[in-house]
Amino acid sequence: MHKRAIKHWVIPTILAASTVVKFAIGLASYSGQGTPPMYGDYEAQRHWLELMVHLPLRQWYTYDLPYWGLDYPPLTAYVSWICGIFAHWINPAWVALDKSRGIETPDSKVFMRTTVVLLDALIYVPALLMFVSSWQGTRSKRTQEMSLLTLILQPALLLVDFGHFQYNSVMLGFTLLAINFFATGQDLLGAFFFVLSLGFKQMALYYAPAIGSYLLAKCLFLGPTDGGRLFIRLAAVTATTFILLFLPWLPPFAPVSGILQPISRIFPFARGLFEDKVANFWCASNVVFKWKTWASRGFLVKLSTGLTALGFLPGVVGLIRSGAAMSKTKFEASSVKADEKETPPFLPLLPYALLTSSMSFFLFSFQVHEKTILLPLLPITLLLSGAPIGSSVYSWGVLVNNVAVFSMWPLLKRDGLGVQYVALLLLWNRLIGHNPFRRPQSFIQYLSMAVYAAALLLHALELVIPPPSRYPDIFPVLNVLICTPVFFLIWLWSIKCGVEVGWALGGLGGQAAERRSSEDAGVAATTTGGSFRQSGGRTVSMGYAQTSKMEMRTTGIRGSSVFSEGS
Amino acid sequence: MINESAGAPAPIAAGTLRKSSSVASLRSSTSSIIVPEPWFRYDILPSEWDVLWLSTALKLLLFPSYRSTDFEVHRNWLAITHSLPISKWYYDTTSEWTLDYPPFFAYLEKLLSIPASLIDPMIVDLNNLNYDGWSVIGYQRTTVILTELVLGIVLLKFVRGSVEPPIQRIISASIFLHPGFLIVDHIYFQYNGFMYGILLWSILMARNGNKLASGILFAVLLNFKHIYMYLAPAYFVYLLRSFCLSPAGEVQIKNFLSLANAVIAVFVVSLGPFALLGQIPQLLSRLFPFTRGLNHAYWAPNFWALVTAADRVLLKYARLTGADIIINESGVASSSRGLVGDTVFAVLPNVKPIHTFVITIAFQLIWLLKLWRNPTYKSFLTALTLSGWTSFLFGWHVHEKAVLLILIPLSLLAAERHAYFRTFVLASVAGVFSLFPLLFTPTEFVIEVIYSVIWIGAVYTPLSRRVYEYPKSMSYVIMDALEKLYLAGFPFLLIFVTTFPLLQGGVTAHPDISASAAICISSEAFSCPESENWSAQSSREVSALQFLPLMVTSIYCAFGLVWSFLRLGFIYLHEETTYQGQLSEIK
Repeated sequence: MHKRAIKHWVIPTILAASTVVKFAIGLASYSGQGTPPMYGDYEAQRHWLELMVHLPLRQWYTYDLPYWGLDYPPLTAYVSWICGIFAHWINPAWVALDKSRGIETPDSKVFMRTTVVLLDALIYVPALLMFVSSWQGTRSKRTQEMSLLTLILQPALLLVDFGHFQYNSVMLGFTLLAINFFATGQDLLGAFFFVLSLGFKQMALYYAPAIGSYLLAKCLFLGPTDGGRLFIRLAAVTATTFILLFLPWLPPFAPVSGILQPISRIFPFARGLFEDKVANFWCASNVVFKWKTWASRGFLVKLSTGLTALGFLPGVVGLIRSGAAMSKTKFEASSVKADEKETPPFLPLLPYALLTSSMSFFLFSFQVHEKTILLPLLPITLLLSGAPIGSSVYSWGVLVNNVAVFSMWPLLKRDGLGVQYVALLLLWNRLIGHNPFRRPQSFIQYLSMAVYAAALLLHALELVIPPPSRYPDIFPVLNVLICTPVFFLIWLWSIKCGVEVGWALGGLGGQAAERRSSEDAGVAATTTGGSFRQSGGRTVSMGYAQTSKMEMRTTGIRGSSVFSEGS
Repeated sequence: MINESAGAPAPIAAGTLRKSSSVASLRSSTSSIIVPEPWFRYDILPSEWDVLWLSTALKLLLFPSYRSTDFEVHRNWLAITHSLPISKWYYDTTSEWTLDYPPFFAYLEKLLSIPASLIDPMIVDLNNLNYDGWSVIGYQRTTVILTELVLGIVLLKFVRGSVEPPIQRIISASIFLHPGFLIVDHIYFQYNGFMYGILLWSILMARNGNKLASGILFAVLLNFKHIYMYLAPAYFVYLLRSFCLSPAGEVQIKNFLSLANAVIAVFVVSLGPFALLGQIPQLLSRLFPFTRGLNHAYWAPNFWALVTAADRVLLKYARLTGADIIINESGVASSSRGLVGDTVFAVLPNVKPIHTFVITIAFQLIWLLKLWRNPTYKSFLTALTLSGWTSFLFGWHVHEKAVLLILIPLSLLAAERHAYFRTFVLASVAGVFSLFPLLFTPTEFVIEVIYSVIWIGAVYTPLSRRVYEYPKSMSYVIMDALEKLYLAGFPFLLIFVTTFPLLQGGVTAHPDISASAAICISSEAFSCPESENWSAQSSREVSALQFLPLMVTSIYCAFGLVWSFLRLGFIYLHEETTYQGQLSEIK
């Protein structure tokens, strides 16, 4: 009786404890606190509340653009509007038009911090709860709780949203909801939520290649009739949601050119290749190769777009080929009518494709911020959350998470979040059972050791030595040089895993079909896995295919660690 | 004994320490199997490391939280002890926050001021009043976390030597993670964790039979902070009866002399320098300022809060009915504002320090007589708790923070049996709730409330299972129901306390005024000139309503604390002999 009672309380306790942590981070200073005249991201977000409450819709994207003009898609504006109405109701001074610029009263800060916690609780937290019950529905309760804890206290997101001040968890939450609905076979709802994600922050485009190709693969998988129908429905849902979001800027509510207002604000190609110091390909290679002097901006835009596309291509191809290949085998194997609600067997590829795609954007695309690393972190943390300690997914996931936090150090330091940086890294690593000082046993663990050593050394140097006057940016640049290789490796790793998982699922075209017929032990094993899912239910275990394949290679016992880990 | 039980209870322990640590220990304990050989040996379990690291992470996050004037008090003491010769420590009045702790604490501040001066000389600049640079916040907060490790180590030692380590581990963790410490030390700012560490160390020595060490440690503690004098009677009787006298009543002259000499030596080390300088009267006048009122700014939830409340009610009654009661007009204005100053009753006879003193002594004598007749460890622990409790309830000008003096020793008794456990729950809920008004800034308030709820849940669930007893008779059932009803009132009290100011704010629309008054309430006693000015400006009705949530909190918590005090006293006097529990088994 009591034992059961305790079990019931674990998840509420996790939620309550994480709320304490979120509020506690919010005690710290935010970006741009006390730095007139422009302040920082906090002021930008607060300023939008002020704009939305006081200005007619038509002026949202045009009012006094140099002072934090709105440059996010309409859903952000609508959410700011709602928050602004509450703020205006509680204390009009917080959002007085123009007069409230740079307001830093304690109560207005509390209000703004609370809006982040509430929106997070309304969107991201439910998305996480749904994730553990849908993607990890077949796993033990303990694994699910552990996984929730891993995700909910992910340090990078906590630091940026509740410390630095942004609403990334809303965008990520919508995307996660979309992925969850894909896992339960409700593709239309999934598409709807993904459009909301895009409509909240254009950064969600980083996921678009993976999500688009997943849906395309699903259509191919279902075959010409059902797939065609799904395709049309998806197109209709997507288009309608977009139109609804942008309605005020579309005819008949605005002239045809009206849509250009938000669009030109949302995609600012007029800015440079990269801002500040960000751990991506451009900034890192800029150390030895000055891109800006060597090539025109137009060329660089094209080059970066090309490289990005090349970067996410493997993920896209993997998904579509799986979809196409499996559709054929499915028709050969059975005459059962394809069900739209059924989860396709290539679903486990989706997180890897999301990782490949978003990491490729982060590394190669135009105008990347250091905070954008949060996007690749979502899929890798989802993978990590269900992985057993010591597995390669776990090691990579932890490494990338820690390095991502490290890569934001210059930003966090500027925001006055140094203590929070230390505290959250300590908290999260301890909670997930990661000990960075354990004796390494595999390549990735040796790599982690080296990276941590370099990071610690850099912190130590920064603490004791002032930067030389010739190179005032020496520490951020060194930071970039440590982080970029790790991000580059995780991008390669995600491609490799995508290929491996695809292969394990038997989805790589004609050769794979032949291999299946030749009674290869491993593939037979995973095919049983696939049919188990098809018969058993719509839920899929995250990381299942990956781990089972690893196990086959080493011990020949399938998936033992996955199922025994939590019990 | 300690070494024997150190390694053994690992598997049980990992399972029983729930909530904050079990989730983490799941992974860390499985991972520890993978490790071939640790680099060095220590007998601290993964779950215990979890408690330490996770709580430290939270405490780090609280660095930028609200700080009371106590923060500046302690910074000023760093400056005094660093920049002035010892002869001027107790005379300096550069800041209004003069040194009013005993010499050992001053020595500690001197010690802490050395690294502080290296980190940032501005910290120890005597004239740099109200310095709130990042360096001083980081440094002072860090010293609180580090000195609190004393508490952590002592609590670990409690587990190691205990009869039932899994239960003691829960109790130890509950003390280390006590919301009281989080609120008063890590947000409000004080060094209670460190000093309760010494107190528990002394209690641990008593448990382990080393009574000389226990006495010395308590003497040391007294010279850190004199509030622990509340507990001194129990120590005196216990050590006299069980250490200086044999069970038959013969004087153990050797024991007596060694204890007396040791305690005198401690006081010589502490007070000696000041005695040589002839400053003892000045020192005492700093330590015991008898110029304060009966109630502290925000009434501590004790007996006098109930009496004051009764006086208010009688006054209202007299006004309404026109009853023939003599009303003291100066008492009408007094204390309804909840401000510092002499409390004068309007209807009831006024209370003088001597009254509180007599009542306190009378109650103490009851417990001490019992302790004299039954000087076991468990009896000592109970008498100690009751001794502190009596002083808290009936003492003159008691601070609400002193409630820790009850809650911490009481925690050690929590798992004895259901009667103790229920007392512990009632007192803890009421006591912790009574600390909530210390923090009035919204974020900190949310943090303390959620944290406390998690804490009580995490302590209640495993312990209640351990001690559950079937009610013996109908009267027990009724009592049980009433107590549960009382506990169920706290959520409603919380709702009232949080929503009332919002409703008030809408009516009065004086946000600045209420803010300044609130700051004054929550700061250390002393004086609040600005709010006196303010209360002169605004009408009494408004101010009375302003402090209504504080008064209601104080009264409601006082009921719980008085009731659980009587409860423990009854258990101590009546059931002690019949019970054979975990603590009774220890020789």
